[in-house]
Amino acid sequence: MNILKLLFGLRHILVKLLEWSAIIIMATLVFVVLWGVFTRYCLGNQDERTDELATTLIMWASMLGASVAYAEKGHLGVDYFVGKLDPAAQRINEIAVHLIVALFAAVVLIYGGYLLASRTFAAEQMLQALKIKAGYKYIVIPFSGCFMVLFAFEHILELLTGKKNGEAAQ
Amino acid sequence: MIEEIVILVVSFAILLVLNVPIAICIGVSSFLTVLAIGNVESCYIIAQRIAGGVESFPLLAIPFFIIAGNLMGEGGMARRLIDFASALVGWCKGGLGYVNVLTCMMFGAISGSAAAAVSSIGGFMIPEMNRQGYDKAFNVAITSTAATTGLLIPPSNVMIVYAVVAGSVSVADLFMAGVLPGILAGICLMIASGIICRLRGYGGAQSTSMARIGKTFVQAIPSLLLIVIVLGFILGGVCSATEASAISVAYSLFLAVVLYREVKPKDLPKIMLSSAKTTAVVMLLVGCSTAMSWVMARENIPQNVSSALLSLSDNKIVILLIINLVLLIVGMFMDMTPAVLIFTPIFLPVVTAMGVDPIHFGIILIANLCIGLCTPPVGTCMFIGCGIGKVSIAQALPSMIPFFVALFVSLIAITYTPWLSLWLPSVVRAMGQ
Repeated sequence: MNILKLLFGLRHILVKLLEWSAIIIMATLVFVVLWGVFTRYCLGNQDERTDELATTLIMWASMLGASVAYAEKGHLGVDYFVGKLDPAAQRINEIAVHLIVALFAAVVLIYGGYLLASRTFAAEQMLQALKIKAGYKYIVIPFSGCFMVLFAFEHILELLTGKKNGEAAQ
Repeated sequence: MIEEIVILVVSFAILLVLNVPIAICIGVSSFLTVLAIGNVESCYIIAQRIAGGVESFPLLAIPFFIIAGNLMGEGGMARRLIDFASALVGWCKGGLGYVNVLTCMMFGAISGSAAAAVSSIGGFMIPEMNRQGYDKAFNVAITSTAATTGLLIPPSNVMIVYAVVAGSVSVADLFMAGVLPGILAGICLMIASGIICRLRGYGGAQSTSMARIGKTFVQAIPSLLLIVIVLGFILGGVCSATEASAISVAYSLFLAVVLYREVKPKDLPKIMLSSAKTTAVVMLLVGCSTAMSWVMARENIPQNVSSALLSLSDNKIVILLIINLVLLIVGMFMDMTPAVLIFTPIFLPVVTAMGVDPIHFGIILIANLCIGLCTPPVGTCMFIGCGIGKVSIAQALPSMIPFFVALFVSLIAITYTPWLSLWLPSVVRAMGQ
């Protein structure tokens, strides 16, 4: 059980880290777009980095946020039909759902995202104004996939052991 | 081609029933379909399409409207709008019903999000209406349905999504086009509410005075000004819709923290976090829907649907009716943003071929899918409303029916009266020249 506790504690720290990254990225995003408007109207010509930076930030915020939302089961689903099952069957169903999410994350986000990022790096594609490689925009996708897989197994572990992670961590 | 469509639809349906998160349902079924088509790199393609959907600059307006909506919800704007609306219409019989609809229209418009309207307005109005003897289920039903009208009244998140997929439609035109239909939907809901309140004898007379109307109006002005600022900037060509939505974040931050002082600076990270999570959920839906819509285009589904529809009838009225019925069913099972992303490319070519203006169709689409936000099995607004009002979905459903009828009547009116949508944009365009 100590290993479980350690695992849930680590998860707690990871979620906090991801949450703060998402908060900071969101705040920066607002600032960046406002800065674009400000430079255009008050300084005469728009800081051309703002558009590229904004789309990069939204990619990071969305992907990291998606894994946090999944850790906290914040994604919308249809629980109407499953709600009619008996509790034991509901538990099996829930495990199946987390497996499906983990598979999707592994195949599309981790592998597909890795291909996308590595090819963009290999093609030497650049974000012209920011003067950084475009691959950095996409590199968050495989990372987010890893977190999702991690959280999926953690949810499954929680279902199998009957322990709530929140209680174990706090 | 038939097999691939079957794979797409059946896998989506199975995953949905299993309670897999909807974004993942869309992603997995698109992935399986690409896999079945073969001779493409399915993992890479789907990842690339998801990324393509998320990294769009126009869609950046989505997170900004979400942040602004959360700031307004916490920042005391809801209460000031309710005060103003109750001074204005609260004195009638069944007055709280009208107050509810009117406030939802204003708040939904300002925040650009129906979910924010249900939680913010419902949080105040549902307990208050319960206290005054209105039926619990009725209160939930009216709040959930009224909140959707804010999606038609600008500024509106989902209109930006439509403008992005439709391509040639300007956000400014779409915003203006939504005004009258949104007000019409609100009026239809008020009529339904008025009839029910009269039949059941809800709500005693409260008094009001011009002084009270004036005073509450003054307090509500800073909140209402947000609509003027955002629309003014976009229509005046000062900035894009995305930039205007960022400005609305700055303005609502100013209202909530400096002017009304209901949000403390230390609350801001919490508000940012909940906005980030909502944003991520929506953006993942956007990404996966972009992938699905790419799969459909590759399978020529839009063309096939289009020729199938046109073979059924070449009558504009009939085709629009069929499309509306299909969309009502889609709306029951899908959230609004993915539905707009996936079904716009399918239906828009059909209706434009029949001479329907893309702006008008956008309004029809949104008015239609608004109803779906309040229907199970997937009905975000209804679920939030039921959560706040503490009634089960089964309890709330019978009370929803009169409001569904009201929204359906307004939908039919919006569908078959193009000038309702197109008149205002044409006036604004004429003024601009």
